[in-house]
Amino acid sequence: MTHLIDIAKLKTVLFLSVVFLFSADISTAHHSSVMFDKATIVAVTATVKEFQWTNPHVWIQVIIKNDDDEMEEWSIEGLGPNSLFRKGWRPNSFIPGDVIEIKFNPMRDGSRAGGFIGARFADGSTIGNW
Amino acid sequence: MIAFCIGQIYAGQLALAADAAMLPDWSGVWERVEGNGGIFDPSTVEPVDGRAGSPGVRQYPPLTEAWETKYQAMLEVVAQGRVPDPISICGTPAGFPRLLALPDVYEFIVRPEQTWIITENGPNIMRIYTDGREHPPESELWPTFTGDSVGRWDGQALTFSTVSMLGENGTVLDRSGLVLSDKASITTRMFKTEDGLLRAELTIKDPIALSEPWHVVRHFRKTPDGTRAFDYACAENNRNPITPSGQTLTLDAEGNTIDIEIDQDN
Repeated sequence: MTHLIDIAKLKTVLFLSVVFLFSADISTAHHSSVMFDKATIVAVTATVKEFQWTNPHVWIQVIIKNDDDEMEEWSIEGLGPNSLFRKGWRPNSFIPGDVIEIKFNPMRDGSRAGGFIGARFADGSTIGNW
Repeated sequence: MIAFCIGQIYAGQLALAADAAMLPDWSGVWERVEGNGGIFDPSTVEPVDGRAGSPGVRQYPPLTEAWETKYQAMLEVVAQGRVPDPISICGTPAGFPRLLALPDVYEFIVRPEQTWIITENGPNIMRIYTDGREHPPESELWPTFTGDSVGRWDGQALTFSTVSMLGENGTVLDRSGLVLSDKASITTRMFKTEDGLLRAELTIKDPIALSEPWHVVRHFRKTPDGTRAFDYACAENNRNPITPSGQTLTLDAEGNTIDIEIDQDN
């Protein structure tokens, strides 16, 4: 059973002047990262719907409640599974139903996707740049 | 007669075995040292530590006036977020020399008769013949992604010549949009340094794109013992297709485009 929590009040958008330390390193990926707004970091609580451990990028499908209390599915893109594996990620790093805090660079055009930065799990452990 | 032939074959095997014993140990899994977001020549990148593909980031090879103009036009395209990177379509190799500047890991397979450079990203396979052969005659050459490479061992250093690369007709050197012509030729010297790095020194000549030889150095460091390289299948789940205008789209989990803003000329 997927557990969703009200995250609207927890949603924060942080505008940072120094961003590259935390930005997704998609520039070394197989495509341009220009679609991501690296000057903005979105930090939200979300529920994992699916984790796609695939090439050329991993994808974390998450459910986020918007400001109108509607549930939205967002697609969060990470680097490739090979390099992530060597950084400690595993195919089961995100399990459907997990409630996590997640940070990402949102799409510039406001569509429901982003470049992964980091996540914190319910037990306090983290992955990526948190 | 049969005994003579067997003796010749045995002698040949012994010679190869002896050669193999003299070759350096480049085993294991390696990764590039110069990251720089994939910029090909990190020594001249501006701004320092700039990432290939970011607006305003470029390098300074000794380009001819015409190819400097060409590069500046590409930089304008990059600034618009429409960088033309062939490998983003998940269909073609990165080619040489770009394959020395890729993310993910490398393997260098050294044998007396050949050395293979295998890049996990792509993947790319580059074959360097060291069995004494020369480049084929021009009538047997056509431009390819990695070109034709022949070389020789000088002690623990491998020097090889590469010709017949695609150049701008299907490859870029990095996401800043830098390209060479299909008349480029490259001499590469690779050897292990005292601190255990694998160093590649490239001298790139191009009578069309370069006004003088361009010297580029790249290094690789060995990853911890036991590190594995894996399959890289770019088309497996590519949710970032490229439009004819060069826009990178994003697909949802069902394969539907989720971008709100899409180029009108797509």
